[in-house]
Amino acid sequence: MKKNLYFEDVEIGDDIGPIKRSVTDEDVIEFVSVREKKIIPSRFTSKEVANSEGLPEAIVPGPMNIALMAQVLTDWSDTVCLLKIDVVFRQTVPHNKDLIFSGIVTDKDETGGSTKLECDVVMENSDEVKLVIGTGVIALPNKP
Amino acid sequence: MTTDEGIVYDRSLLGVETHIGTFKLTREMLLGFAKSTGETNPRYVGDNNGDGDIAAPPTICNVFVSGVSRPDIKLEFGEISFFAGQSIECKAEIRPGDVLSASTKLDNVYAKTGRSGKMVFAVWETKFRNQDDATVALVTESFVRRNKNR
Repeated sequence: MKKNLYFEDVEIGDDIGPIKRSVTDEDVIEFVSVREKKIIPSRFTSKEVANSEGLPEAIVPGPMNIALMAQVLTDWSDTVCLLKIDVVFRQTVPHNKDLIFSGIVTDKDETGGSTKLECDVVMENSDEVKLVIGTGVIALPNKP
Repeated sequence: MTTDEGIVYDRSLLGVETHIGTFKLTREMLLGFAKSTGETNPRYVGDNNGDGDIAAPPTICNVFVSGVSRPDIKLEFGEISFFAGQSIECKAEIRPGDVLSASTKLDNVYAKTGRSGKMVFAVWETKFRNQDDATVALVTESFVRRNKNR
């Protein structure tokens, strides 16, 4: 069971994750369906379309990658409040392949003015190639 | 060093907000988004039956940004374009039934020179407001243009 984290529990250098998962074809279709009622084959949902655009396989949409990166932080503890996430896409992200997500706390507001923390987050493939990198700002509650 | 000196583009678009859509967020959409990303946090998925009070996963606005058609800034530089990066600021919680209005503006255009030569970045900021006119999210996207490697 996940532990409820509080601001006082966390130190700079604390690890977040790692979490290993993959994104299936069905996951991508479900994601795209949030906005589009009728799925039009695209580089995200069709290997053939992806191939025609020079990609070896269908890829995970950028907004889905960001959602997954954000989830690494919000999954850390149910007490996490995500304030900001900033990502850079380094490589395309394939369907149905192992992805490893991890993070590290890089800064902590020690002024007493807020309970904000800054974190680095990364998504890598099984060869440890960084596919998406980013930074997040989160807030945790003070210990009761 | 960054500068916009000498970059030719339609400067009249800088800072001009363009409405890009209105989106009603249903509970079904929120749960679909959460399910597709393997979300398990009860704050976003409710109880085991998907019932109960829920909020939207924090990056949900991003779904509505992708594929949006924006004004052509008529940038006279570069042969190839890339999506360079994106940030999302979560300003307030989004709940089922919220109606979000989105507007986008060209926030900045600047050049950087690196090992591969000059690159020009165009930065767009998209603001989502709810039915009470409160800003719930700010999405900043950066696109880069550069010349092909010779």
